[in-house]
Amino acid sequence: MKRPSPPTVRRLIGLALLIAWEAVPRLGLLPELFLPPLSKTLAVLWLDSYIYAAALMVTLYEVAIAMLIACGVGILVGAVVGGVASIRNLMLPVFSSLYAIPIVILYPIFTAWFGIGSESKIAFAGVYGFFPVMLSTAAGIRTIDEQYLLAARSMGATLPQLIARVIIPASIPTVLTGLRLGGALTIIGVVVSEMLTSASGIGYLVTMNRTILDSPRVFAAIIVVLALSVAFDIAVRALERYTMVWQSAGRRMASSSTDTSARLATSASAA
Amino acid sequence: MSRSAVILVRIALLLAVLGAWEVLPRAGVVNPMLLPPLSQVLVVLGEILKRGDFQEAMAVTAAEVLVAFVIAVPLGALLGVLSAENEYFGAIFKPMLFYVFSIPKSIFLPMFILVFGIGFGQKVAYATFSTIFIVIMSASAAVESVKAEYLLVAQSYGATRAQILRRIYVPSMMPILLETLRISMIFNFTGVMIAEMYASRTGVGHMISNWGENFMLPQLFAGVIVLAVAAMAFNELVRYWEARCSTWRG
Repeated sequence: MKRPSPPTVRRLIGLALLIAWEAVPRLGLLPELFLPPLSKTLAVLWLDSYIYAAALMVTLYEVAIAMLIACGVGILVGAVVGGVASIRNLMLPVFSSLYAIPIVILYPIFTAWFGIGSESKIAFAGVYGFFPVMLSTAAGIRTIDEQYLLAARSMGATLPQLIARVIIPASIPTVLTGLRLGGALTIIGVVVSEMLTSASGIGYLVTMNRTILDSPRVFAAIIVVLALSVAFDIAVRALERYTMVWQSAGRRMASSSTDTSARLATSASAA
Repeated sequence: MSRSAVILVRIALLLAVLGAWEVLPRAGVVNPMLLPPLSQVLVVLGEILKRGDFQEAMAVTAAEVLVAFVIAVPLGALLGVLSAENEYFGAIFKPMLFYVFSIPKSIFLPMFILVFGIGFGQKVAYATFSTIFIVIMSASAAVESVKAEYLLVAQSYGATRAQILRRIYVPSMMPILLETLRISMIFNFTGVMIAEMYASRTGVGHMISNWGENFMLPQLFAGVIVLAVAAMAFNELVRYWEARCSTWRG
């Protein structure tokens, strides 16, 4: 017998999960408090759609500003740290050490400083997303093939030309990977901080409905967050494919241990 | 720059940051209510380290981190090796894992509270959940990093399975495995912290979030320093091992 292809199996697993989500609570295998049936959750989402839409708007606003900060500052600092050898040797190990700190412990400080409104979420998520963007930009600048630079220089390229024509196009793929991870982390940062202390946003709906044990509304908010992070992922992947034409073959992958750790560390979201 | 110059500049930078932390609030440039001077924070730090309730909270947090780590790392490593060794299994689950990766795990925290309550078990379960995916991914990356040529050479010289495991797999995988330990600890610690800050009656995470809500900033900063130093100490320890082991691999 021929084994079904992996994508088919994946679709079947997805379908089975959805069916289980409906069937398991209906059959009484799990109390509805733990897992309300899918249909009930979707019905609540539809019924309260204006509440969820309003909360989503607050969350999106916070995510947008935090992302601008994380990506802007992250790319800038990453370019300097990756591009200038003396700063790189000085600071990169320091940043890798700081990366070990669970950033969520800073959130109480941000709420004390900025209150429980949007400002504290933006500040927290901005810091949360900053590190992966910065580390992967630094790695991206470093992995540029020396020969491109040599060729451009020997043809008499000026520094601005070198930056615009060689460095930026060559580092785009790595920077985009950083943006994808950094963006995902800013979404997580905003949602986590809304769940912890807040009075608005999707994360607040999760916490508020959990405290009154309204499980269908908790799961409806979970669905909204999942949809948000998946939509973001699809959008950035499309952008990556679009800019792929700039990337030429033969990029050298650096193999020192700081690079691997930067890659691994940035390849994931801790929260 | 030479090695000693780099270290000197780093120390100078650290002293500058610490000095600014002391001087700026004292000079009134920043509000000392919002950023208490370093010396005041350090005095409070000395006091809370002696307090029985803080020591108890640290013990609870350490136990949660440890138990979750001991569950998540071997289990994740096993699943990771399976998905790397079995091509069909890997082809099915790897894209799903990547997908789970981009999802905020903390959004499932309410489910853990509904099912496990807000005690020790819930912290361990949530931290295990938030750690295991990175362990699976790194473990399968570690298996794949073993060079096929090495295996071929060993097999053609008639190495036994045990010899191949000990002489090729372990040395090749060691750096990535140590790195996995390091990074999964970051995830694990973050998971425990989020769970404690979100809903808990004990633990250091619970204490700092209380201090924040009650605007007790010297205590809050002192607690954050303790947690940050603990996290960085473990990280540096494993990085030291990593540096020692990387000499094995040419």
